Amino acid sequence: MRAMKILLKNMKPYAIFAILGPLFMCIEVSMDLLQPTIMQKIIDTGIANSDNAYIIKLGIIMLLSAVIGLVGGVGSSVFAAKAAANFAADIRSEVFNKTVQFSNRNSDSFGAGKLITILTNDIATIQQATIMTLRVFVRGPLLFVGSIVIVWFTARELFPILLVAIPILIACIYFFSIKSGKLFLNVQKAMDKVNTKLQEMLAGIRVIKAFDHKGYEHQQFKSVNELLMKRNMTAEQLVFTLMPIMMFIVNIAIIAGLWMGGLKVSEGTLQVGVILAFINYLNIMMMGLMSSSNVLMIIARAFSSAGRIVEVHDAQIDIAESKETYASEDIRGEVEFKDVSFSYSQNGEYVLKDISFKAEAGQTIGIIGSTGSGKSTLVKLIPRLYDPDSGEILIDGVNIKNIPLERLRQAIGFVSQKATLFSGTIEYNLGFGKENLTIADMSQAAQTAAASEFIDKLEDKYEHQLMQGTTNLSGGQKQRLSMARAFIREPHILILDDSTSAIDALSETVVQQALKEDYANTTVFIISSKVSSIIDADKILVMEDGRIEACGTHEELLTTSRVYRNIYASQRGGGLMYE
Amino acid sequence: MNKPISQPRPTVMSRARGPFGLKQPTEKPKDGKGTIKRVWRYMEKQKVALIAAVCFAIISTLLGLLGPYMIGVIIDDYIIPKDTAGTLKVLIILASVYLAIAVVTWLQTFMMVRVSLRTIRRLRQDLFDKLQTLSLRFFDKRTHGDLMSRVTNDIDSLNNALSQSVVQIFTTVLMVTGVAIVMFSLNWILALVTMVVIPLMYFITRKLIKYSSNYFIKRQRDLGELNGLIEETISGNEIITLFGKEQKMNQQFSKINERLRHSSMSADTISGFLGPINNFINNFGLAVVIAVGAVLTIQGHASVGIIASFVTYSRQFFRPINQISNLLNMFQSAIAGAERVFEIMDETPELVDKKDAIAVESFKGDIEFSEVYFGYEEDKHVLKDINFQVKSGERIALVGPTGSGKTTIINLLMRFYDVTAGEIKIDGCDIRDYQLSELRRKIGVVLQDTFLFSGTIMENIRYGRLEATDEEVVASAKLASAHQYIKHLPEGYHTLLVSGGYNLSQGQRQLLAIARAILANSDILILDEATSSIDTSTELEIQNGINRLTEGRTSFVIAHRLKTIENADRILVIYQGEIIETGTHQELLKRKGFYYDMYESQFKHYNI
Repeated sequence: MRAMKILLKNMKPYAIFAILGPLFMCIEVSMDLLQPTIMQKIIDTGIANSDNAYIIKLGIIMLLSAVIGLVGGVGSSVFAAKAAANFAADIRSEVFNKTVQFSNRNSDSFGAGKLITILTNDIATIQQATIMTLRVFVRGPLLFVGSIVIVWFTARELFPILLVAIPILIACIYFFSIKSGKLFLNVQKAMDKVNTKLQEMLAGIRVIKAFDHKGYEHQQFKSVNELLMKRNMTAEQLVFTLMPIMMFIVNIAIIAGLWMGGLKVSEGTLQVGVILAFINYLNIMMMGLMSSSNVLMIIARAFSSAGRIVEVHDAQIDIAESKETYASEDIRGEVEFKDVSFSYSQNGEYVLKDISFKAEAGQTIGIIGSTGSGKSTLVKLIPRLYDPDSGEILIDGVNIKNIPLERLRQAIGFVSQKATLFSGTIEYNLGFGKENLTIADMSQAAQTAAASEFIDKLEDKYEHQLMQGTTNLSGGQKQRLSMARAFIREPHILILDDSTSAIDALSETVVQQALKEDYANTTVFIISSKVSSIIDADKILVMEDGRIEACGTHEELLTTSRVYRNIYASQRGGGLMYE
Repeated sequence: MNKPISQPRPTVMSRARGPFGLKQPTEKPKDGKGTIKRVWRYMEKQKVALIAAVCFAIISTLLGLLGPYMIGVIIDDYIIPKDTAGTLKVLIILASVYLAIAVVTWLQTFMMVRVSLRTIRRLRQDLFDKLQTLSLRFFDKRTHGDLMSRVTNDIDSLNNALSQSVVQIFTTVLMVTGVAIVMFSLNWILALVTMVVIPLMYFITRKLIKYSSNYFIKRQRDLGELNGLIEETISGNEIITLFGKEQKMNQQFSKINERLRHSSMSADTISGFLGPINNFINNFGLAVVIAVGAVLTIQGHASVGIIASFVTYSRQFFRPINQISNLLNMFQSAIAGAERVFEIMDETPELVDKKDAIAVESFKGDIEFSEVYFGYEEDKHVLKDINFQVKSGERIALVGPTGSGKTTIINLLMRFYDVTAGEIKIDGCDIRDYQLSELRRKIGVVLQDTFLFSGTIMENIRYGRLEATDEEVVASAKLASAHQYIKHLPEGYHTLLVSGGYNLSQGQRQLLAIARAILANSDILILDEATSSIDTSTELEIQNGINRLTEGRTSFVIAHRLKTIENADRILVIYQGEIIETGTHQELLKRKGFYYDMYESQFKHYNI
């Protein structure tokens, strides 16, 4: 409820459409309700008096009312669509603005998949539900109530039938919705089981094949599949029972109408047209009831969507700009970690434990260690993608929390493990690194990243379009572009997070050479699983299990660190390729 | 009397149709006829139920025609002549007709749901089984998402179509024809008047759909573009933060969002017209029927009862026509979905047993690779001219840099893939001559990527040998040094693992995988980097277990830490897809080649 209330604030500018939509729907409904009454008049007055002129007059009125109804319906559609589209577009834009500002921790807590679903499906559901609410959910109840009122005024003799039939109908719908809601929840659970089994089969196909458990898997799937079928059967058969029962109740009401009406006609207290009108209104009532119960389900779904959207709305962005910010002229690039500990979840396992080290401006720092030892996490703290739980990180002696975020990140060139590029031209992507970049800037950076050789071969050079997900470049090409993007900033601190994994040995040497020459004054962090990439570093941090196990130059580590020796030894075979 | 036409089902699955389910451009099947035939073959098994459902559908439609007719008769022949006794008699008959309609309609849907769900169950199971017969090459080519959606979404849409639209399309046609016949037999003039409305309705709907489809395509395009941007932004959020591009992304988003605002407004407006217009045509038709009917009645060519019947008939007539295009769309996209399902069914498994494939009791364990070449893609050999022989009971180690082809050798031995050239023999027979399942069952393997299933730890170890007792499971866990940590879990062996086993550490998972392989008790054992994430002291412990296990059995070990393979009977050094050195540890050291270099660099700093 609270969620809806928050979202509805976005409807304010469009309140006029949201009011006009239902109003126009009222016109359509009242015209619909008028039809049977006019028909009754034609029969009871026109035919009874053999009055051709009267019949034609009323016939034309009926046509006119149909036209007015059409205007009402069309108008309602126009305004409802206006209200819903604007409403949804505003929400979408608000949610997007918020998510773009999310810190990594915020994004992690939602998960990319969920955020995408919220921004696409959930908002679309809200839009659809809004249209339905403004139109059908107005139409259904209006038809229902309107019919009852009209029967009260024009066919009061037959009204007692409604007193019996309507409560039964409503009770039926209520009972079935409650029951089917539960049953379909069970279906969903069974469906989840089937999906899990399926996913496991796909992910574990090698294991299944290795143990040759085809038959076992068949049995396992059979049991969940069977469960799904049974639950589906129960649920669907129940749902499909509702319709015949409702039809039957209405039909019995019609028979009651014919019987009571027949008696009254024979007594001379009722005219035949009234019976016909009554039958018609019964049908309209039924239609109204059914359509509103269907819309109710869409609205229920919209509520859970609204809940998810508001979660984004409520999320607190946790990396905040500090109030006392320091604004030095230039960042030199001295980086120091002091007793830094960090965990991804508040009370979870520490991924980094008491990390302390110092990198002088212009030094090259190599970081090596097994997967999960905390290498990537360590460097992510430098541009404040996350804040440490305890301890502090200093750049040029200033705590990074006191450096304006924009300034801090401006000074850092970060090449992440996964080369994420965006759809657009190469120029557009390199432009992430620097505003208003020139061709010279680009070719310089591309040269350094060993990317010019393949860019120059492209027909459109820097105008080359990348597809979404960059499916039209190889892994190595992507990594080189993502390096060029970072180089182009001319950063004071450069972070290369295992960014050469898909690059051939030759190109890597080119990059390393260029780094040495062009970035002598830049502090460089290189994370790599290959010893060869960090062998020349001024300082190598050997990470194990969230701690710095050892620290020193290659030569020093060979004698002091067992872990390092092991890593080095296991790679010597591969290392031969580079030596 | 109003037949339930297309009543949206409140199932969660039907939601998969997408947010704008109503009038999206429908996908057309490529070979509709062929696919329908194949779906039919699946339904054939339930022919009796199906025929029953169709019969019920016919009966309920015919009875549905009877209702309005009887109302007309009651009004004209009994109520207007004031014959109350007669009225009562006919009303009782009418009541029983209505009761029959309700029962028969219910029976028909009951049957149809049954037929459809059973068909679907078989189809889903067959697809699952089929997927399992396909070789790894097939899975290498496809994403999990694509395969998942075929088993879930595509099959569900077929279910919807089978349980609803098939019978509805059928009854709609029946109903429309029936109503037309009855109307003409009641009063041909009124019938003609009613019919005039049809072309009008058809014409307007067509126009509207054609007109609106432009808007839908536009909205779909904008939506696609926007979703693309959303996806990119969210998955690339880190980069956007790092480079401070939040504002720029917002601007791009706004541009597309504005376009979508307008295109979706137009699309929704136009599609919203369909309801009022149909309503208008209904009302228009009703007005004409009543007015003309009244005039005819005065002239003696019709009666009040006939008007009453026509009012109901015209409703029964128009509604199905309104909905038939929806039904056909639904049916069409279901067939397209079924086509995608059958596409998988038609995949031929790359690896199949020969006709006279050998079933083996047990392997002695002699293995021979002769002139084996292999590539995952054509022309790109990962293995080149691999030759070696292993005598029963030998312990073989494979070493070499990452990507040199060690795991590929294992993949070939397990026959996950077939060699491109050359042959692999076990006990003197080409492995392609053995029954595939027997072959794999005799080889126990701990794979590089340990995959565990959702379920308890007990169940996961037992996966190695399904009929093993609890005691045997615990025993093999002890051998694998897994017992130690399992014991300390709050639920012990009954601890539930999530799919993939990701609530355990990589090392713990490896220990379980080893226990699983130990339990399998196979003739040939393969350990592919099985201990890479396990600390050194535990590794030594397991080593003892493994040594006992591999006693007298042929075994292959791949390891980066050379210490673990020192005691192998023979070491094969693989470099860039070729065997460059073979021999025992001592022999290889003496040779002072590649292995010597590797070993030296790894151990020269230990004082051994």
